[in-house]
Amino acid sequence: MNATITPDRKSILANIRIQRFTPGEHKSAFYDNFKVNVETGMTVLEVLRLIKNTQDSSLTFRAFCRSKICGSCSVRVNGKPLLACSTQLMPILDDFKQESVIIQPMRNMPVLRDLVVDIDPVIEKLAKMHPYIMENRGRIPETLEQESLMSRQELTKFDYITDCILCGSCYSACSAASADPNYAGPLTLGKAYRFSADVRDSFKGERMQAAVDQGLWSCAQCRKCINVCPKDTRPAISIQRLRKMSIDDGIHDTPGSRRAKAYTDDVAKYGQVNKPMLPVIVNGPKGWAAIEAADNYLIKHGIEPTHQVCTLDGQSSTQKIYAKVKELESRGENKT
Amino acid sequence: MSEKIRYGFYSGCCFQGADERFFQILQDVFAKVDVELELIVDAVCCGSGVIEERSELTSLAVNAKNMAHAEQMGLPLYTPCSTCYNVIANAQKRMQEDPAVHAQVNEILAEQGLEYKGTCKITHTLWVFAQDVGLDKLKERITNPLNGLRVASYYGCHTRNPADIQGYESADNPTSLEDILEVLGVQIVDYDTKDDCCGYHLAWPNNKLNMQMTSNVLEGAHTKDVDMLVTSCPLCFKSMDGTQAKALAQTGKNFQLPVLFLPELVGLACGMSAEDMMLRYHGVPVNIRL
Ligand code: SF4
Ligand code: SF4
Ligand code: FES
Repeated sequence: MNATITPDRKSILANIRIQRFTPGEHKSAFYDNFKVNVETGMTVLEVLRLIKNTQDSSLTFRAFCRSKICGSCSVRVNGKPLLACSTQLMPILDDFKQESVIIQPMRNMPVLRDLVVDIDPVIEKLAKMHPYIMENRGRIPETLEQESLMSRQELTKFDYITDCILCGSCYSACSAASADPNYAGPLTLGKAYRFSADVRDSFKGERMQAAVDQGLWSCAQCRKCINVCPKDTRPAISIQRLRKMSIDDGIHDTPGSRRAKAYTDDVAKYGQVNKPMLPVIVNGPKGWAAIEAADNYLIKHGIEPTHQVCTLDGQSSTQKIYAKVKELESRGENKT
Repeated sequence: MSEKIRYGFYSGCCFQGADERFFQILQDVFAKVDVELELIVDAVCCGSGVIEERSELTSLAVNAKNMAHAEQMGLPLYTPCSTCYNVIANAQKRMQEDPAVHAQVNEILAEQGLEYKGTCKITHTLWVFAQDVGLDKLKERITNPLNGLRVASYYGCHTRNPADIQGYESADNPTSLEDILEVLGVQIVDYDTKDDCCGYHLAWPNNKLNMQMTSNVLEGAHTKDVDMLVTSCPLCFKSMDGTQAKALAQTGKNFQLPVLFLPELVGLACGMSAEDMMLRYHGVPVNIRL
């Protein structure tokens, strides 16, 4: 037997703590504890099914394809959203060095029952983002027989997102979505980027406006969504790219786009972000109030306020880097 | 005298204004555990993940430059800032995965006689203390154990997400911060909002949301009756200490919770005074008499 193919099999009698709740029936969510013999190789879903089949048939969860395709089985295990069907439990027990785990429904969505949440509010947000292609006439071939072809380079701009199975894990992990119910969330903005980056599309402008209206600049770039996505679609990266696209398309009048310009220009100029003057650069004249407040804070603590940026030494060579990148980008030769 | 551990010190952008004090504090605290920091003089700001919103290649080139200088010094790159860690580690990973991008970046750097070889090791305060110095040595140097102090520990997001930017510990269940705190003698208190993001990077694009997120994290810790929240990230520190009063006022909450930057608490446990740690510069008063 080859150890690299068949790992050491073990079995742990583990306590599976599951959050239960039926709206209307229970006053609040509570926990049920189930003892299960967890064996190497068992998925979270198998454990849930075992409990349902042998201990409590009322335990409610959702799953369908069992192959990481339908995206219906997301739950949180020890706080982390994941696909129950394609995540083994033993490595989690090992990682946490415990003989118990907590299984909860996803966050940021209403619980329908036990581990089942209502993902519709998220899908409604997605629908507002125009998640479809409006044909770009320039890319429609002359004859019906021809296909609308894309180059490999054009495809790689967005192909990594097409794998998204709308499982909602990223949305569950997102603290910005918890704090602001109007925020579109990672998967939604990821999709907005996916269609806007598609050369066959011509609807970018309106989709961009929808993205700005629904919180393109409300993502904190915490990158949790990248961490939890079972399909490695990297929503936070798409959000950065969508922001760039919006600025390139002339949406300059948001604090976020002004910050992007300020940081980028400052690093070339000073090798450093000009933090003392940032309020005015980003918010215009009303930023002076913030600078005054910062000055007062310093004076109160006995520090002489200065509006001088603390320049870093690397700045001269940085200007050359910028020039060279600009040259490559203007010729479309950048490999990023 | 034990052997010194040396790092190329990448300072980042956050230690300006009142926070300039941290340059000194970090060096003093590290000196207690035989760590020596050598400033990477030719470094520039990592761009905080914001330069990508204009040009990804620029960000990669600038951070390859930062790493190239550390490589020239023959030292690992140490940054106290979690966001700098995230951005630089991400650049490293991106170039590792895509040799064409790596080659193009080196073409750009070549004009200044620089080359990013890809060998640079990057690290953060968490792993300097927990792994390079080691918990045993840290324990040896503690002259003022902080027994019984109830502490909410807070990593922030950028040393943890995504999982593959660090190979030091589990991303889903990191323990370095708690391991360090335990050695200092404190009692670690678990709380619900521990894994939430403080929203610091929304300070400019959406300040209201930043305040809401900061307030949420603080409230989670506050309800557990802790003496303080301790974070390993200087930007989380800014959000949760510097803007705490504003965040709580805007969200209709009425409490105050002292927040410490991890090196400050290590300093105190190693016998340095509140004055040495310049705690009077905090936005929320820290009345520590240990
Ligand atoms: S982006 Fe990833 S985590 Fe988010 S819904 Fe799509 S597949 Fe799930
Ligand atoms: S990076 Fe942005 S979208 Fe992703 S989880 Fe964090 S705040 Fe949400
Ligand atoms: S059951 Fe379909 S993805 Fe898990």
